Order: sequence, then structure tokens, then C-alpha cells
Amino acid sequence: MTSTAPTRHPVVPSDPPALLLDGITKTYESKAGAVQALRGVTYHFQQGSFTAVMGPSGSGKSTLLQCAAGLDQPTAGTVLLGGTRLQGLGEVELTKLRRKQMGFVFQAYNLLPSLTVFDNVALPLRLTGIRPRRQDVLAVLDQVGLADKAKRRPAELSGGQQQRVAIARALITRPAVFFADEPTGALDSKTSRQILSLLREATDRAGQTVVMVTHDPVAAAYASRVLFLSDGLVAGSLDNGSPAQIAAAMSDLER
Amino acid sequence: MFSLSRQTVRRHLPLYAGSFVALAVGVFMLGLAATATAATIAYHGPEADSILVQLPGTDGAGPHSERVVLSGADASGLQVVLSMVGVISGFITIFVIASTFAFAVASRRREVGLLRLIGATPRQVRRMVFGEALVVALAASVTGAVLAQLATPFLLAKASYTELAPVKLEPASPWIPLGIAIAVGLVVALLGARSAARRAGRVGPVEALREAALEPPQIGVVRVVFGLVFLAGAIAMLALIQPGTGEGVVPLAMFTPMVLVVSLTLLAPLVVPWIGRLWALPLVRWTQVSGRLARSNVVAAPRRSASLAAPILAISAIAGSMVLSLSFAADAAAATIRDTLTAPIVVTAPENSAAAPENSGELRERILTTPDVAAADGGISVGIIRADGDSAELEDGEGIDPAVAATTRILTPISGELANLTGQTVAVGKEMAGLEHYKVGSEISVVFGDRAKGTLRVVAVLPDAPGVNGSMLVPLALARQHAPAAVPERWFVQPAGGVDPAQLIGALDRQLSGTGAHVVRAEQWEQEQADGLRKGNQLGLVLLMGPAGLYSGIAIANTLLMGSLQRRHEFVTSRLLGATPAQIRRMVLWESSLVGAAALTLGTVITATVGILLRHAMTEGLRDVPTTIPWALLLGIGALCLLLATGAATAPTSFILRRTSPADAVGD
Repeated sequence: MTSTAPTRHPVVPSDPPALLLDGITKTYESKAGAVQALRGVTYHFQQGSFTAVMGPSGSGKSTLLQCAAGLDQPTAGTVLLGGTRLQGLGEVELTKLRRKQMGFVFQAYNLLPSLTVFDNVALPLRLTGIRPRRQDVLAVLDQVGLADKAKRRPAELSGGQQQRVAIARALITRPAVFFADEPTGALDSKTSRQILSLLREATDRAGQTVVMVTHDPVAAAYASRVLFLSDGLVAGSLDNGSPAQIAAAMSDLER
Repeated sequence: MFSLSRQTVRRHLPLYAGSFVALAVGVFMLGLAATATAATIAYHGPEADSILVQLPGTDGAGPHSERVVLSGADASGLQVVLSMVGVISGFITIFVIASTFAFAVASRRREVGLLRLIGATPRQVRRMVFGEALVVALAASVTGAVLAQLATPFLLAKASYTELAPVKLEPASPWIPLGIAIAVGLVVALLGARSAARRAGRVGPVEALREAALEPPQIGVVRVVFGLVFLAGAIAMLALIQPGTGEGVVPLAMFTPMVLVVSLTLLAPLVVPWIGRLWALPLVRWTQVSGRLARSNVVAAPRRSASLAAPILAISAIAGSMVLSLSFAADAAAATIRDTLTAPIVVTAPENSAAAPENSGELRERILTTPDVAAADGGISVGIIRADGDSAELEDGEGIDPAVAATTRILTPISGELANLTGQTVAVGKEMAGLEHYKVGSEISVVFGDRAKGTLRVVAVLPDAPGVNGSMLVPLALARQHAPAAVPERWFVQPAGGVDPAQLIGALDRQLSGTGAHVVRAEQWEQEQADGLRKGNQLGLVLLMGPAGLYSGIAIANTLLMGSLQRRHEFVTSRLLGATPAQIRRMVLWESSLVGAAALTLGTVITATVGILLRHAMTEGLRDVPTTIPWALLLGIGALCLLLATGAATAPTSFILRRTSPADAVGD
């Protein structure tokens, strides 16, 4: 554990920011009264970075991810993705942006059970109106080590294999930013390592940006930086931490 | 997107099987009604027995001719029933399809959310759902049409030589009728899928990340507005069911329930939970926990409750109103016959007397020579074709002697003078006069059964009395002239003053022994007429409500089956929380009973409202109208609906509970 104090980041980064959050707040109205999930989060995700977002339950990490990906509208603040302001975009424009610039990997594998592996991976291209080239689809499947499973259906694959298909589906559009929410939450440690290595590869090889929400220090250790959230605010960060260091920082936060 | 639609349909086959079955059965019935109608249109009757009537034609339509079958033995009765079968089938199909598609989409919110997440626009999602509907609709429509084609010969064989079509019907070319049925099926499916697709388009990408699949409980403003508009329309139609409306009142009483059903279905998410809550009051008191749970489920998922209640509401209201309306109409008709006939004795001629007219004169002679007979009124029936500008209608004309007839029946004209019924004149009923705008002095072009043309002048307008009077009353001499072979089928006999009818019946019996004629009291004859009417109604009712009832039964079972199969996760979780399988089964039983009871309550309200209004409208001016409520039939409809609803809900629940253990909740 080195530092849990909020760290300032340069306002003008050397690389253009892949994703910029500026003063994000999110308030949910419920019968019991207003609940503040995010209370003013400002952060740059630099291009090619792999950031893990951690925090106790209720710290707002999933809300942060949803706001950053434009799945949910923040109550206040702006999100810039690759220079495009998400606020003020219509549903269709948001969808098109999501389709081109973002990839998603979630705990529940989120594959369409009716489609083969090949068709699942090719689906984002088809939705864009592009006829997927066979070798492209097979190339990303090869990247995740599933080139031989193209004709299977999701139900015939193990959990780890399904998650790799989900990553291949996210890879096919070459998105600028990957959003991952507990991608290894339902997997054993060996399969988890494969998945995390794949995400890491995306940043190292292709310069893609990964934002991953997790509660697992081992998973977070694959990231180049861990961002800690607490009570809807950025509580600090840790660069290149070991699982032990990250776990210690987490238990400090939860105290 | 189309290939995606095709693949998702294949995957969700159990979910779409419901929609498929519902639509295939709907198209089957429409197709059957259409092919049978085509057969009735193609039927031409024997040449010798029909007349080609030349019509001058009115505005638009030029002069043309129309064939009229003189014996009246054509398939027009069947045609009317078939067109009503078509309307009712179409109506219920729209109904069932809309709710099954909505159901199929509602239970796939997560999947739709996922598509949105990976980049499908709302428009693409709408197209996908629409595409799925198209795939299902195509397959189902073609299947239904093929089945209809296979079943047509059986239906025609069954329908030939009945009261509705006393002729032999042969299948006609199936292409046009089946084409229409398929087209209607496709249109109905796509209309039903439209609202489902719209709703799917509104699903946000975040839905992919949520666990709970419960729909938000709000009800669209548009839905409520449309519900109120239909309700207003139905109330306006109900207001028309009153004595002044006349002949339109029976069809009105049959179609108003449909409008009411549409309205109440739209408003069901508001109404059904509320009524369900009332029915739950005793249930919560009697049961420990299952009744309470059932109530919360019905109230918390108003949309689900509403779509489960819809088919029960539809069939109970439509079938109930129809059964009650026809029964009340028969009551009113029976009262009319009773009030019109004043003669206490009726003599019916033997059935074969038409073949031997010379016997008829003898019969007349014998009746009149019986002591104490004051008057014997035997009308002669004569076919009269009313040739109006552009239509030719066969009427059952009756030749009467006004002086005699006035002593055995009440023939007090509304306007005009019956004594003027001599020469080329006619007296018509109030209904025909109203429809055709006949007044005293109007002239009607006619063609008689012997193909002679003529013009009849209206001399009187009488109260309607079908069953006693013919629809056009002409002088006896005129009827004899155009139907020389015709003989009276029944005689109304009036005894001389102070003579006991019972004694006269005895005397007539002796006098007429050997002729084959029957002498009965008027009450008995009236009863036979009413029974005949009810029997005729019953056949129509079976033809009308049989398929619709079967279809609704399938629909009720369908929606409840789909509903229960979707709830595996909920059941398993409840098991984990410590609910025994028996408790869950009881909860589902009470739940489906509450929904069924709420729907039947609404159906009963509709049936009773329509029945009471119709009765009031039809019995105006009649005294002591008997009230025949077919309780067995009505209660049977209700019980069957309830049985189907609870059975279709509990059977899959038991199946799921046998196949799963609480531990599944953890791994799911």
C-alpha cells in the first residue's frame, strides 16, 4: 500500500484522452428519497491504459461504468469519448457511437443463445450494415483461441470459452474503449487469467483502452492502474500494484 | 436482420409455439369460413326451381338480373352464419395474437437489451421483432390454410341438408378464399406484433445488465385513452339498444360486447388488479400465506394479469351475451306469437298434404262442418319475390281472408285499413315498412312464384308477428291465382261464442280422424313454434361459438402456459426461501383463480348489461314475457374458463417444481 490519497492527474495529458469524465454526478430518485451514487467524479482514461475500478459495494463503480459508456445519463457532468460529448446525443447516435467505439464484456456472458459463435462475433458488424468477412471473424476468434469453435452455439461452450467469445465480439469492431464489468466474476482462476491476459493484450498490442470494474485484487493487478471509488468519489489510485497491495488498499477503504 | 429473426425464432420456439398455434388455429377458422362461403356462393340450386329476376338497377349499378331459388332452399342462412364466424374468428385472432406477441417480447427484455448494448438501434430491434412475427405468421398462416383446405369437405358434408343450408354443398376453388385467409392472418399478426415491436424498441441497453425481468408497472397514456374511447363508443352503442331501434337491436347486442371487450382489455391493467383485490379478500382470510402471495402477484404485475385475463374476458363476454341475447330474442318471439294468435285451437295439416291438394279441400270442408266452429283461418303460403331497384328478395307471402283472419289473430293495423286487402294489394310488417320506407299507398314490384310479374299496392302496415303471419299478406284470391297447388299448412280455429275449446278439440279430433291432421290447443302449438326457434338458434350458436370457444380455450391455456413456464426462476427462488412445492402450487392456483374470477366478473357484467337492455328493447308492448335464462350453458362457460385457466397455470408449475431443486437458484 503506497498511497490512497487522491492523486491529481495532468489536465492536459501527453496522449489525447480516450475517455474523459468531467464532474459526473448521478442521483437516483427513490421512494426513500434521493440516493447519490456519484458525487462529482472527474477522471481521464488515457489511450492505451488498462484501468481497474475498485471500491466497496455501493461505492458507485457500476454506475460510473454505465455513465462512462453512455448506457445511463449522469445527473450532471460530461463524458467525452474520443472527443465526442455523449451528453446531448440521441438514442440512435449513442447506439452508433457505442457500436463503433466501445466494446463490452460482462460477468454474465451475454451471448445470443440462438446464434453460433461465428454469428455472435459477426453480429456487431451486421448491425452496422457491414457484411462480415469470414477471415476477419476467424482472425479474432483465433486471437481468443476459439477458431475451432466457430460453429458451436454458446450453450455448448464452457463459461470461460463463452467469455472469450464475448471478448472476440468486442474486438471485431476494433473499439477505442473496452468496458468490462466483473468479467471474471463467474470464472475459475485459470480461465480468469486467460481473459485478463486478452484484455491486457488489447491495450499493449493495439493501444485500446480498457476500463474494468472488479472487486478481485488478483484481476485488478493485471491493470496498469487501479482507481479506487468510495461513496461516489474517487478515493485514490495505485499504479502497477501487486494483488497484496491492492487488497490492502481496499481493506483500508472499507474501514 | 431477417436471418437473425429466423434464428431467434428457432431458439425461442417454445415461446413462439404459442403464437404459432394461436395464429394457425385462427387462420384455419377464417380459411374454413372462407372456403365454405365460397361453396355457398358457388351453389346454384336446380335451374327448374329458380327465377331470373330482371332488375332495373339504381344509382351506379346498371340493369342486371339475379337468380332467386323459389323453394328458399339455398345456402343463404349458412352464409350469414359463416360471415359471423369469420368476424368473430378475426376479432379473437387479433386479440390473442397481440397478447401472445407482447408476452413473447416481454419475457426477452434481457436479450433485447443485449442487442441494444452491442449496437442495435431501436429501429433495428423493432425490425427484428417484426421480422420474427413475419416468420411465425407466414408459417402459421400457411399451416392454417392447408388444414382448412383439408377440413373443408368435412364441414360441407356436415353443413349440407341442415336448417341453415337444406342443400348439398360442394367445395369450390380454394385459391381466393384461402388467399384471403392467409392475408388476413398476416395482417393480423403484423398488427399484433406492431405494439410488441414498439415496446421492444423502448428497451434500453442497461436492461442487459439487470437481473429482474419484471416490466415496469406503468400503463401507457395512449392505451388508457384508447380504452376510454372504446368505452365511450360501447356506451353509445348500449344506449341504442332500446325499444325505438327496432330490428337492428339483435346485431347490436352481438357486436357491442366486442367493443366493450376491446375497451376493458385496454383498461385491464387498471381494472383487473382492482377486481382481483376484491376477490382476494376472502382468500387472504382463509389461507395462511398462499392467498396473500397470489394477491401481491396479481397486483404487482398488472400487465401480466391483464394479458392472462384478456382471452377469458373475451370469450365469456361474447359467448355469454350471445347465448343470453338469443334466448331473450326467442322469449320475445314466443310472446309475440302468443299475443298475436287469439284462436284457442290450431289444426296442422299432414306433411304430405301438398302432394294431394284434393285432400285439402276435404280437410277444410270437415273443419267448417264441425259444429260450433265459428271461423277457420287457413292461410296459403305463396312465394313472392320483391324486386327492388337492385336487389331481389324472396318473401314468404301468405294469402288470407281478412275477415276470417281478423277473428283468429290480432291484425290491428298501425296504419291503413285491412278491409282494403282485395285485388292487387298487400299488407306488410312494420319492420319491412321501416327498412324499405313503405307507406300506405306505396307500390311494390314483385314476381310471383309462377313467374308472373305484378305490382302490389300497400294497404296496411301491421305489427310484426313472425311465426304467425307471413312477411307479406295478400288477398286469398291473389295467392290462389299464383299458387294454385298450395294448401294451408295450419288452420287457426275459433269456436262459436260460449263453446269450451276443450270440447271442440274432442269434436274436431273425431271429425278429422283418418286425415292425418293434428288438433292441438293454441298454447301447445305456440310452445312448439318457440321450441323450433330455439332449436334453430342452437345450431347457429354451436356453429358460431363452437370454433370461437375452442380457439379461446387454446388461447387461455396458451397464455397461462407461457406465463408459468417463464417463472421458473421465481419458483426456484421461493423454494430456496423455504416454500414447499405444495405452497407454490397453491399460490399459482389462487393466482390464476383470481385472474379468472376478475375476468369472469367483467364478462358477467357485460353479459348482464347487454341482456337486460336487449330484453327491455324487445319486449316493449308485450305482456308477461317468459324469462328463459340458459343457466346451465352460461355457468358451463364460466366453469370451463376457470377450469382451463387454473389447469393451464398449475400443470406447468407442477412440472417445473418436479424438475428443479432449490439449489438451482444458486447456479442460475
